Amino acid sequence: MSYSPLFNRLLEALRCLPGVGPKSAQRMALHLLERNREGARKLAETLQEALAAIGHCRRCRNLSETELCALCANPNRDHSLLCVVETPADVLAVEQSTGFRGLYFVLMGHLSPLDGIGPTEIGLDRLEARLHEGGIKEVILATNPTVEGGATAHYIAELAREYGIRPTRIAHGVPLGGELEYIDGGTLSHAFAGRREL
Amino acid sequence: MQIVLQPAFVLHRRPYRDTSLLLDAVTPEQGRLGLVARGVRSRRSRWQGLLQPFQPLLLSGAGKGELLTLTVAEEAGRPLPPPPARWLSGLYVNELLLRLLPRHDPHPGLFAAYQSVLEALTGPAAEEVALRIFEKRLLAELGYGLLLDAEADSGAPIVAERVYRYVLERGPCSVTRTAGGILISGKSLLALRQENLADAGVLREAKRLTRAALGVYLQGRPLRTRELLAALRRRTGNLTPRGEMS
Repeated sequence: MSYSPLFNRLLEALRCLPGVGPKSAQRMALHLLERNREGARKLAETLQEALAAIGHCRRCRNLSETELCALCANPNRDHSLLCVVETPADVLAVEQSTGFRGLYFVLMGHLSPLDGIGPTEIGLDRLEARLHEGGIKEVILATNPTVEGGATAHYIAELAREYGIRPTRIAHGVPLGGELEYIDGGTLSHAFAGRREL
Repeated sequence: MQIVLQPAFVLHRRPYRDTSLLLDAVTPEQGRLGLVARGVRSRRSRWQGLLQPFQPLLLSGAGKGELLTLTVAEEAGRPLPPPPARWLSGLYVNELLLRLLPRHDPHPGLFAAYQSVLEALTGPAAEEVALRIFEKRLLAELGYGLLLDAEADSGAPIVAERVYRYVLERGPCSVTRTAGGILISGKSLLALRQENLADAGVLREAKRLTRAALGVYLQGRPLRTRELLAALRRRTGNLTPRGEMS
């Protein structure tokens, strides 16, 4: 059976969401149009508003409605600690599960020359300006433990050293509650290289 | 088409759909291959950490078209990621293979050369020397080998004390009878042939030669790893160790 052109357009539009294929798109569309028109209207309005209003924080590049995000504007945070992460989701993860009270810088990715992602794309010029401003004592590199994440961290560490700032990298190794037998060799050898005295 | 526990290295990976990866891998018997690794980006996947560049792997896969579906991935040794300061050199090697090696074109010798350049980059060996030797071997394996032991026009053996003009896609020619080409000493030609590049002057000349030769086959499209190196170097004078590949 074929739907009206507008309905088809709605299906296509819904499929831009992650994990949404033709079947789920159809279910969502029917639900919005048949059972919850009020919800659909709200979704449409909020989406439009969010698109117009939410941009990136001037200082940390995280998503924000204001020019300076709530974290950067908070005077109670430790402004001498800067944690560098790859995505806004990483900021949330660190915020929710660690006692970190410093500030963030979001790269929105990592260096990946083969995909055309260089220093400008991940905002290194803005990060450098930030380091230049002074006041930061330690840069904590919390990029992903992949080869690219490690290389990105390396370049930022070099940059930090030039400004006399101490760069540190978060530890990586065996997950809590994990079993050594089932851990891949790379992780295990990293864990060994980064062992600590008890 | 099918591969069964084929030694392989991932050259590049790209996210595909929600949880899958598209891999470009190099193998000895099938050359460069495209593979789809389904579901590996999900939280539960065991292969997530494994399917990374510079990790020796054994891969199985099957499929009808250009892309194979990955069925098995096992590690085949210690990972060989170049240390962060040499990471770009590792990626540069990967980019060369991605650009110059056609898919499904077997080159067992090239796989060995790739393995040995990674080992050199992770070890104490001089970075530039390792890259030049790989470039020379890559050109030879692809059938664009440099002529390093005899003059192109007369066939006379190369003499270390003389200077030649290397004309790309032909070879070293006598300086008096040719115009153009790259000026290079006989000593450097012979040293590159023997893969003995310890001398700084020789290394510089070898770099000019391999770079120009690769340029012909790269058809003028710049290498992105070279561009990134240049961009990083522009940022600050000493952010990266000087000129490994450009």
